[in-house]
Amino acid sequence: MKTWLKALAPAVGLVLSLSACGAAGTAMGTSASQAPSAAISGSVTFWHAYSADSPELSTLEKVLIPKFESLHPGVTVKSVPVPYDSLHQKLVTAAAGEQLPDLVRSDIIWVPELANLDVIEPLDTTLPDFADLKAKVFPGPLATNKWKDHYYGLPLDTNTRVLMYNADALKKLGVTQPPATFDELKALSAKTAGTGVFAYAEGGTGGWSVLPWIWSGGGSVTDDAVTTATGHINGADTVAVVQMLADMLKQKGISDIILGGQGGTKTSDGLPKGQFATILDGPWMFPIMKSQYPNFDLKTAPIPAGKAGSISVVGGEDIVLTKDSKNKAAAAEFLRFLLSEDSQMEMAKTGQMPVLSSITADKLNAIQPYYGTFVEQLKTAQPRTPSPAWPKIDEVISKQVLTAIKGEATPQAAMDAAATQINALIAQYK
Amino acid sequence: MTAAVTASPTIARADLVSTRSPGRRRGRAGLPGYVFVAPGFLAYGLVVLWPALQALVMSFQQYKLRKGLASPFIGWANYARAIQDPVVLRSFANSAFYVLVTVPPQLIIGLVLAILLDKAMPARTFFRVLFYLPVITSWVVVSLLFKWLFATDDGVFNWILTSIGLVSHNVDWLGQRWTAMLAVSLLGIWKGVGWSMLILLASLAGVSEDLHEAAAIDGAGTWRRFLYVTLPHIRGTVVTITILLVMGGLNVFPSILLMTGGGPADATQVPLTYIYKQAFTFLDFGYGAALSYLLAFFVVVISLLQYGAAKLVERRSE
Repeated sequence: MKTWLKALAPAVGLVLSLSACGAAGTAMGTSASQAPSAAISGSVTFWHAYSADSPELSTLEKVLIPKFESLHPGVTVKSVPVPYDSLHQKLVTAAAGEQLPDLVRSDIIWVPELANLDVIEPLDTTLPDFADLKAKVFPGPLATNKWKDHYYGLPLDTNTRVLMYNADALKKLGVTQPPATFDELKALSAKTAGTGVFAYAEGGTGGWSVLPWIWSGGGSVTDDAVTTATGHINGADTVAVVQMLADMLKQKGISDIILGGQGGTKTSDGLPKGQFATILDGPWMFPIMKSQYPNFDLKTAPIPAGKAGSISVVGGEDIVLTKDSKNKAAAAEFLRFLLSEDSQMEMAKTGQMPVLSSITADKLNAIQPYYGTFVEQLKTAQPRTPSPAWPKIDEVISKQVLTAIKGEATPQAAMDAAATQINALIAQYK
Repeated sequence: MTAAVTASPTIARADLVSTRSPGRRRGRAGLPGYVFVAPGFLAYGLVVLWPALQALVMSFQQYKLRKGLASPFIGWANYARAIQDPVVLRSFANSAFYVLVTVPPQLIIGLVLAILLDKAMPARTFFRVLFYLPVITSWVVVSLLFKWLFATDDGVFNWILTSIGLVSHNVDWLGQRWTAMLAVSLLGIWKGVGWSMLILLASLAGVSEDLHEAAAIDGAGTWRRFLYVTLPHIRGTVVTITILLVMGGLNVFPSILLMTGGGPADATQVPLTYIYKQAFTFLDFGYGAALSYLLAFFVVVISLLQYGAAKLVERRSE
């Protein structure tokens, strides 16, 4: 009765050899890329989250890639669009399976995490011409690529949040201009009773949502070297900002969608409908409004200034070269191509803000008049804590600010708890 | 007569068994038999058993995602952390709530529908399909649909409630723990009823008309016939459905993920959404694996208890 075992043996052997192949595949791959002029060939796979059916995707696939391929005969670029919400999971899974593509357009907040996972190349040692590339881009977006002592990527596009307002809704609250300072916002919040209009609306309490207020109010998450959160996330200025948000919520001056419930009216609907007088958002809102609310006149202004001025949060994407890449020379050349002024100007037409300092505000305004406010706001905008621990730090900020504005703890007590938790997270990555 | 009728299935079963002796059957299956089942077992081993064992190992490690990096073993630390994590307890409580709210209605409504649709009636097939339709529609589609129905400002439910004056202002359904869990549970009931109905219909079709007739002649009314003829016959099916529904309820995932995302502030996390978050948002695969094994342990224990309880009831009624 043991004969069946013999029958199984070849099949088992097949399975074993398959898994062995998976492990052996890692040893292959090319060494660091050559100089820009070296002859290149083969294919380059590029993962990104450019929106499907959007001008940005068609510009990439129908304008930029064909142009690159005609400049470099023998090289083909495979563009793989992944919806933003599943890109992080896809990257994580691919990193574990050593199946990452050559290039990834990564959200700036994932770069330290990917670097810490040791799946992307430190470009400052991999690219011989890194210094030249580094000198061409804005320092703010560049800073999001740094983890420990190396740069693991280069900025590809940038953006930030500015104040967006509905002039008619402001009129209902008795003002003609959007709030320019914290005090003006507080005054506006006090006038909302019975109008059916909220002075301001925000969809949550995470870093992307509340950091512009915390920074403008003089607060911070950690010290610049990211060694401690004590005295920063629980400092007097941060606590005062959380108190301000709590007061305005209690007053019903800001919508309770800030509490994070999924059923509330979204900021992108409430603003054009006149339910929200002001929101904070990025340049992608213009194409969205154009298609969803064509009659709505979307207007922008700087973030209301607190005691530290008007400081927003840097968003955008970096481009990274993976260690799994089998064709690093060609991949690096495509990376350089995407950072050329021509490519950056081409993408600017679709709402992607360029990262080259040579592209001045004048050149941008000629493409899209609405870029002006963003260029101005970017001058002082700050990146979120550059750490692999950021997703967890973000969770702490989100929960503790929520606890405070719901009145379940005093702002000081909630932010003290946040400081303790963030310190523990920072300590894990020293 | 009753005795004769009940005896016949027993005879039939005995016939089936007696045609082949256990020893001969085994001999006949032999090599070809094993070769035929081998692909199935291999596939199971490869895509279920092997990953499950990997996850078990992972649950004792501080797992490093990248191959080649050593993942240190940390003993029971992931499990100890789980026991102290308040969100874990809350997630289990939420799934328990979901089970308690969704399983009884699915059973009862499913049974009522099955009994109604078992009888000859016009457009019977049409109604069967109609009630089964939610089962085969995509979770993603119906979750988004229910999210809109329960929207705070423009949602249909709030519109109905305020129109009939039941509430004075819009309810923030998805923004609070229990109202959100209730909304998700209503979706679960609506989507699951058709499944219970279908299985019970199949079971009801096996109830002999002769038995009903005999009981009627003996003077049993509709209710007594249901209690003493129908129910004993479908009891096994009901037990199976209950166990499967409870398992399914403890594993609720897409509706929560899409309707509340486990929020606000983890208020509506259930074990699977929390495991997903630990693994794919925080890259804590070791912790996620430990939580998976806790959940699996919990599900197995509950299922065994249910099975045992059903056996006990069966023995008593015999």
